[in-house]
Amino acid sequence: MISSSTTDLACSGGSAPKRKRRFRLGRRSSLAFWVSPALILIGVFAIYPVAYSVFISFFKYKLTDPTKSQTFVGFGNYLAAFADPSFIVAVRNSLVFVVGAVGFELLLGLALAVLLNRELPGMGIVRSLLIAPLTLTPLVVALVWGALYNADFGPVSYYLKQLGFQLGAGPIGEPSLALASLVVIDVWQWTPLMALLLFTGLRSQPLELHDAAQIDGASPWQRFLFVSLPLLKPTILVALVIRTMDALKLFDSVFAITGGGPGRSTEVVNYYIFKVGLKYFDIGYAAAMSNLLLIIIVIMSALYLRALRTSGRAS
Amino acid sequence: MTVKQRWFGNALSYFLLLLTVAFFLLPLIWLIGTAFKPRLLAFSVPPTWFFQPVMDNFFTIFRQMPVLQYLRNSIVVAVGSTFLAVVLGVPAGYGLARHPGRASNVLAFALLVIRMVPPVAMLLPFYLLMRDFHLLGTYWSLILIDAVLNVSFVAWFMRGYYASVPQDMEEAACCDGCTSFGAFLRVSLPLALPGVVTIALFSFIASWNDFLFAMLLTGRNTRTLPLGILESYRAYEVSWNLMAAVSLFAVVPVILLGFALQRYYVSGLTMGAVRE
Repeated sequence: MISSSTTDLACSGGSAPKRKRRFRLGRRSSLAFWVSPALILIGVFAIYPVAYSVFISFFKYKLTDPTKSQTFVGFGNYLAAFADPSFIVAVRNSLVFVVGAVGFELLLGLALAVLLNRELPGMGIVRSLLIAPLTLTPLVVALVWGALYNADFGPVSYYLKQLGFQLGAGPIGEPSLALASLVVIDVWQWTPLMALLLFTGLRSQPLELHDAAQIDGASPWQRFLFVSLPLLKPTILVALVIRTMDALKLFDSVFAITGGGPGRSTEVVNYYIFKVGLKYFDIGYAAAMSNLLLIIIVIMSALYLRALRTSGRAS
Repeated sequence: MTVKQRWFGNALSYFLLLLTVAFFLLPLIWLIGTAFKPRLLAFSVPPTWFFQPVMDNFFTIFRQMPVLQYLRNSIVVAVGSTFLAVVLGVPAGYGLARHPGRASNVLAFALLVIRMVPPVAMLLPFYLLMRDFHLLGTYWSLILIDAVLNVSFVAWFMRGYYASVPQDMEEAACCDGCTSFGAFLRVSLPLALPGVVTIALFSFIASWNDFLFAMLLTGRNTRTLPLGILESYRAYEVSWNLMAAVSLFAVVPVILLGFALQRYYVSGLTMGAVRE
């Protein structure tokens, strides 16, 4: 991957006409020189685990099995995943969670970004305050919301009851509400991120276009819809990639406050793989499922990136 | 727009902002408040928002668990992995930016894919690897996995950052007889310091907040704060007040860091968004 053709063009040495003046760096300046220390670390501690995970996914391998036997099963583990109702439910839960969480974050974040973009006194303070949720430890956020949701003593349950909502076992105790309650937690922690990203995107837009639209008689709403929003599309897409990748990795709040329940209503794919791999020690099967998850993530990101590229061409 | 309309618009904006800030801060205020509540008040119905703060929870947690050790472990792991990620990642990002071409693009894409690998997929083989190296339960296991995940992000980020740093000064240093590494250390690194601060901040926060890896890779003596928090929540009886008190040790440092370095933090968010 590291070709020597891009290397070793000494400052004093000859010129590579095709490459313009880019490589007029020192003697030992080659791509390999700069990246190999990082690549060695990544190779040993990231590529190796991933490669092992691909390898072992073709074997039946249970750590709890006293003989530690590894039986080659080909694509057996992958086929088993598609026939495993728990895995299907977990994938469905993950998708519902991602669509719900990222969708609300986008809508609320966009509204908030527009609000933040108004030049009003005190806006700087609001923007600073909004950073707080982003830095918080997700486990702490999960435990706090778990307490707020508690059916007997939690403030959220209490105020909802005061407002006339009868929630029975509380937001995370009711199978129909549990996943939505986790969505609320995610929306709480990450909407500010979305808002700040989109706000900076709005801020960097050229004012001339807005002025021109205004002179042409466009209402503020029309200017938002036909000027700001199209210009914002690349930022929106990148924000969506970042959030989707993260939301698919949801683990802490499921582990800490719902344990996948009630029933299987909040068992997301990450948590299910964790359970199979590290509670049942069914390593081969867990590896196969995590590879499937990786494929889903890569495909989704590729789709976003393609949308990004086409939107870049259009504008 | 008439004056009246503008006044109305501003009033509405402030009202919406107030709602927003309330929504995003109330859970945090609840957490901080609960850390200073006696146990009975923490579970009161209706919830108590105004009360006489007490320090009992802190005395209790210091009696019951090695909070300061958790804090120290968290610092060691977050600082160690951030240091490793920055020392290896910044030069890598620099090299990728200064040697554009096919190899650089492929590597940058590979770095991005590593960020996408689901943590559970990495965790099991990494766990087995650490077991074979006899590193389970040491700081190294956690430092290494956090560093690996962060280094790919650092390199990818710095590649974008260096693309916007002009090369003239490096070239001047180079022709004045510096080696390329000398030029990097004396010229390119100082020029990119804001970017390095930003990315170090992101690495630190990511590693500080990690729970999943810490749960599996740490031992009795290397447990980090998130594990202490879960322990305080579950060990004896569910006690929100104790959980809140321990949580403050994990939460306050990163919030302060975020505020103090918010210029870098926000610019980092944007960098990620502007450069694909």
